[in-house]
Amino acid sequence: MDPLSKALGEIRRVLDDEFFQESVKRAAGHAEEKVPDILDSHPYLKELAREVRRVKEEVISNLDYYIEEAMKSIERIGGKAYLASDASEAREIVGRIVGRGKLVVMSKSMTAEEIGLREYLESLGNEVWETDLGQLLIQLEGGKPMHSVAPAIHLSRERVASLLREKLGFEVPEGARPEDMVRMVRSFLRSKFERADVGISGANAIAAETGSIVLVENEGNIRLVTGLPPIHIALAGVEKIVPTLMDAIKVALVQAAYDGLYPPNYINVISGPSATADIEHVRVRGAHGPLQLHVVLLDNGRLEASRNQLLREQLRCIRCGRCQWECPVWQHTANLWGGPAYGGPMGVIWTAITMGVDAAAGLSMLCLGCRRCDYVCPVEIPLSRILLGLKRIYAHGLLGGQG
Amino acid sequence: MASASPLKALLEFLRDSTLRVGLPVPLPMEEIYSWALPLRLPRMGSVILYTGALYQLMPYIESLTRYLSALEGSRVSDTLLRLARILIATPKLTRTLLAPEPARVERARRILTNISRLLSSSGVAHAYPYEDDLYSGVLLYDLGLDDAFAEVAGRVYRKLKEHGASTVITVDPHTTNILRNVYPSYVDGFDLEVVNYLEVLSRAAEESRIRLRGLVSEAVIHDPCFYARYLHIIDEPRKILERSGVKVLEPRRSREATYCCGGPVESVAPRLASKIAETRLKELAEKSKNVVVLCPICYTNLSRANKLGLRILDIAEVVEAEVPGSGSPQ
Repeated sequence: MDPLSKALGEIRRVLDDEFFQESVKRAAGHAEEKVPDILDSHPYLKELAREVRRVKEEVISNLDYYIEEAMKSIERIGGKAYLASDASEAREIVGRIVGRGKLVVMSKSMTAEEIGLREYLESLGNEVWETDLGQLLIQLEGGKPMHSVAPAIHLSRERVASLLREKLGFEVPEGARPEDMVRMVRSFLRSKFERADVGISGANAIAAETGSIVLVENEGNIRLVTGLPPIHIALAGVEKIVPTLMDAIKVALVQAAYDGLYPPNYINVISGPSATADIEHVRVRGAHGPLQLHVVLLDNGRLEASRNQLLREQLRCIRCGRCQWECPVWQHTANLWGGPAYGGPMGVIWTAITMGVDAAAGLSMLCLGCRRCDYVCPVEIPLSRILLGLKRIYAHGLLGGQG
Repeated sequence: MASASPLKALLEFLRDSTLRVGLPVPLPMEEIYSWALPLRLPRMGSVILYTGALYQLMPYIESLTRYLSALEGSRVSDTLLRLARILIATPKLTRTLLAPEPARVERARRILTNISRLLSSSGVAHAYPYEDDLYSGVLLYDLGLDDAFAEVAGRVYRKLKEHGASTVITVDPHTTNILRNVYPSYVDGFDLEVVNYLEVLSRAAEESRIRLRGLVSEAVIHDPCFYARYLHIIDEPRKILERSGVKVLEPRRSREATYCCGGPVESVAPRLASKIAETRLKELAEKSKNVVVLCPICYTNLSRANKLGLRILDIAEVVEAEVPGSGSPQ
């Protein structure tokens, strides 16, 4: 079935689902009101967003150069850097590092979602756990994250309770409060963190200058995923590279602010594997944190997109999800509109970049062209203009070039 | 089995109808221009009132959408495709088959008549191109049919020039945007000044060239996306309403942050379009029972989903020129 018909079928199923509709709209409404408040209270954020836009543009224009610089820097500080040309190569690289029969903990990563990493590692015979609560619920439900930052917004507390009962065997009492369930998940995952062989994270930004990875979060799971297991693998699209560590921190702050969570609870900066020199000043790799750090940079269409006039500006995206929160279509469909991994206005375009234009062009027909997304994007991606370009490609294809 | 996706069939229908008839729904041109006959507007002039047919078409597009909703999610048979070709060849048959509510057709005519009177009362003389008041092609552009759109844009431009136009007055956000912001990159040597009647009217009201009266005491305003975010026509309708004595109430999402009525996806996903309209109506209803809209697409899509009994009115149904000395409208 073509992507548009498939999406329309799934969307029709949720249009009359009162709970789905109400919870998505409530979450979006909060974000719509919170973000302007945050930007008003911290006036420097808009300036930071402009700086992020500028450095992202610099990197997109010289992507090959920055990939090389980032890889050199990662190796220089004791990490291992890889460049995967597509999803299957990325899966294989990670699969070789992890091996079989291992316990793996993951923090939420849309890039992992993009390449189907969890399912692949499971197919190799590993035990794999998502540790972001929302993403864990998505893993248990077997569906798709419904928002880049808030993946499980469509699930009620009752639905969460029954997932925890059915899939994890928890004894969740009737009428359990969210805090009770969070406590149960915390203690369950704590035992996984302690025993995990490998931790896998994404990255909000990677500094070409220092090889540092920057990750922003609120739950605290990322610090555990990247800090406790002896091996840390970070998977990131090549567009996450920025020139300097300062730029990377800016990306994290802007991402958090425009998603409506500011200040973020935690910003993690990881520059190489842990090390100590406390015994006779001899530098030893591997102290309390990981002994190995692997950084897998993913191309999967991004380099080609950087040379494509229609798609290139999407590579500035910092995945704050604000275009999703603001989009009238998204507010009624969540990520059921966008493609297999991504959703919303930015999602359709990311699908075009990572899976090819044919996988996404039909989906663009659901864009209203209302430009709410354009108005709120922190890095000024002309989303509706790109979507209009995809509509042209679709209409031409549908009518055999007689558009 | 010979069948086509409804979307492909629809795109071909819109394209072929616009190229052959000049309208995305094949209708006799008199449906578009008959409103102007009683006003005896001249055919030629440097200032042309160009409606782009959108107000007049919307009742028919609404009927068409009802048929499309029934087809949503299914395939289109050969018979239906043949019917589409027959309709394009016989616009009068289309008019009969679509049979929109006469009140809706009448309403569109009334709105355009009032707009023309408002312009005249402001001292802005204007001509009207009658059978050349063709559709601007905006839907073709929005749906990605840009080859057909380029052809249509060139034709519309030539016709307007034939009527002597140097300035074109437009009456809805979509036609205004497509002429002002898109035509220049599709039509070689495009040299028309495009002004919107709300811009003309708000200036005239400010300069006291016209006295306005309002027909409701207060209303919540629904900014169309294209006025708010493409054209920045935001203060103009508010000034006009306030000068008419209408108290303007702002909904939760307003001005640059205005919320779409859902209309643009009604041809691809009618039920989704309705749901978006319902969401918008709920927040408009929080402010007033009277809703003022500024776009015929917003009017149609919001009215279709109006289960709350709101009174949805176009700004040109709410505001009229106060004739000096008379004190009461005709």
